[in-house]
Amino acid sequence: MSDKDRIRSLLKEAELYKKQSLLTQSKGKYLNVLQIIESSRQLGNREKLLDAVREKMRAVEEKLTEIDEAPEVPELSESQHNLIRKRFSFSKDKDKAAIEGAVALAKFGQYEQALEQFKKLLRQGILPVVVAKNIITCLLSFSTADAAVAQFSQWVSRESLSRPQLKQIRAFLNSTFGKKGIKAELPKLDEAPAEAGKEDEEGDAVLDLSSISIQLESGPLKGETVEFDVTFQSGNSVSVIIPARRKDLLDSFKTGMELSDIQCFSPIGFFRANGVLFGKTEIKDGPKQGDYLLEIAINAD
Amino acid sequence: MANFNFKERVIECKIVYYGPGRCGKTTNLEYVFKAFKKTTSGDMVSIDTKGDRTLFFDFLPMGLGKIRGCDVMMQLYAVPGQQKYSSTRKMVLKGVDGVVFVADSLEVRRKANLLSLKDLQGNLKEQGHSIFKLPLIIQYNKRDLAEEGFPILPEDVLEQDLNSKLKVPSFTASAVKGTGVWPTLKECMKLTLLELQKELKWAG
Ligand SMILES: Nc1nc2c(ncn2[C@@H]2O[C@H](COP(=O)(O)OP(=O)(O)OP(=O)(O)O)[C@@H](O)[C@H]2O)c(=O)[nH]1
Ligand SMILES: [Mg+2]
Repeated sequence: MSDKDRIRSLLKEAELYKKQSLLTQSKGKYLNVLQIIESSRQLGNREKLLDAVREKMRAVEEKLTEIDEAPEVPELSESQHNLIRKRFSFSKDKDKAAIEGAVALAKFGQYEQALEQFKKLLRQGILPVVVAKNIITCLLSFSTADAAVAQFSQWVSRESLSRPQLKQIRAFLNSTFGKKGIKAELPKLDEAPAEAGKEDEEGDAVLDLSSISIQLESGPLKGETVEFDVTFQSGNSVSVIIPARRKDLLDSFKTGMELSDIQCFSPIGFFRANGVLFGKTEIKDGPKQGDYLLEIAINAD
Repeated sequence: MANFNFKERVIECKIVYYGPGRCGKTTNLEYVFKAFKKTTSGDMVSIDTKGDRTLFFDFLPMGLGKIRGCDVMMQLYAVPGQQKYSSTRKMVLKGVDGVVFVADSLEVRRKANLLSLKDLQGNLKEQGHSIFKLPLIIQYNKRDLAEEGFPILPEDVLEQDLNSKLKVPSFTASAVKGTGVWPTLKECMKLTLLELQKELKWAG
């Protein structure tokens, strides 16, 4: 094949890949063309050709950056929100499903709509502490710490939540602020002796988690966020599995390391926490033989 | 697992289109939507970016009519193929009953196909499914590009790459033209319903 023919066919390929948004592949073909032109003895007009191809390649590169910089969270319509709520909640229990639906909205970055749903659930008195914590998390994700404080103050003044419930939420706010290094005054809750000993039904333990995602601060995958499904949970410690083939992940976790940013997802809520990796062991038999089990103590507040 | 609502006598199954970025998952669903408007039981919803890449998912509900007095609904989803949307893929895969793996026939996507199939296997495993047991169909898409002289992988190479261990039904297709789209989906629905019958212990 003559250089001309090779170039023609490569350019055709590059155009196709561009059209199909296979931009890296398109750029690759343009680079091939540039190389051929540069080393060709048969071609006249080389400078002009080079310029033309470079121009085409630049257009592809621009598209690539455009994609890199595009917002990852689109604005969705109301019916799309409803679809997400309906299709990404799996519980048979109606209340739990409603919370799952709102959590799904938050997972898809639709914080404002998630907030709306959580507020509705709170008014209906459904798992108030869980829902309230979700409200705080949403506010901190798309609004400000002030907004979270204002929300809490409103709950305190309206007495819509019981004192033990408010206490739990206050502790949650405090620890979240502590982790983020936010300084804020929270309204004090004066002790009401009559209620002091009352246990809250929902308890203070970490929710049943379905998955966690961890931002890695060191190691080969520094800066990346990895998500794990929780395979086992006992109280505040969870176990997750790293497949044997993911050596890069294995090398990123060392026993004793502190994990300062863990996003925890449960079917009925999501929140941020920190934790410590206290175990990393190879699984010796069974279907997951060779994989590794990480054990993490989650510190939610 | 399929969702049974015995009170309302509705069975919902979930079929997920999986595969590397730009392989033609959305195009498959768009063709199904256009060609089977009568059977689809609602609009197709796509949540994508400006460049047409799927960002969250595509969703297309289909009604299959009644089986033993129950309305059977097939919910078709397509995941975002780009590697970075891994956690979204996991979300969309949740509760899956059947998978169509769309492979890109383009030579330049050979490795991307393999990585995506591995990713599918891993994500299924995390949800307690085995890729060897779940109803699965493989589609070799973009076959039309051969006519225009573009470098695409021969079918036997794709079979060797992707299906030598799985040995599941496979189809060639051109989702833009619509060829092979329906046979692929039909076979996947057939396998999914067979599995469902086993679950419900319906005879025959
Ligand atoms: N020639 C040809 N092009 C196709 C075919 N199927 C899809 N395409 C093109 O390939 C590109 C990507 O198709 P999509 O359906 O958006 O791919 P996708 O798998 O949904 O991509 P992601 O959403 O990024 O995962 C588009 O430009 C389509 O027109 C096909 O059968 N033949
Ligand atoms: Mg798509």
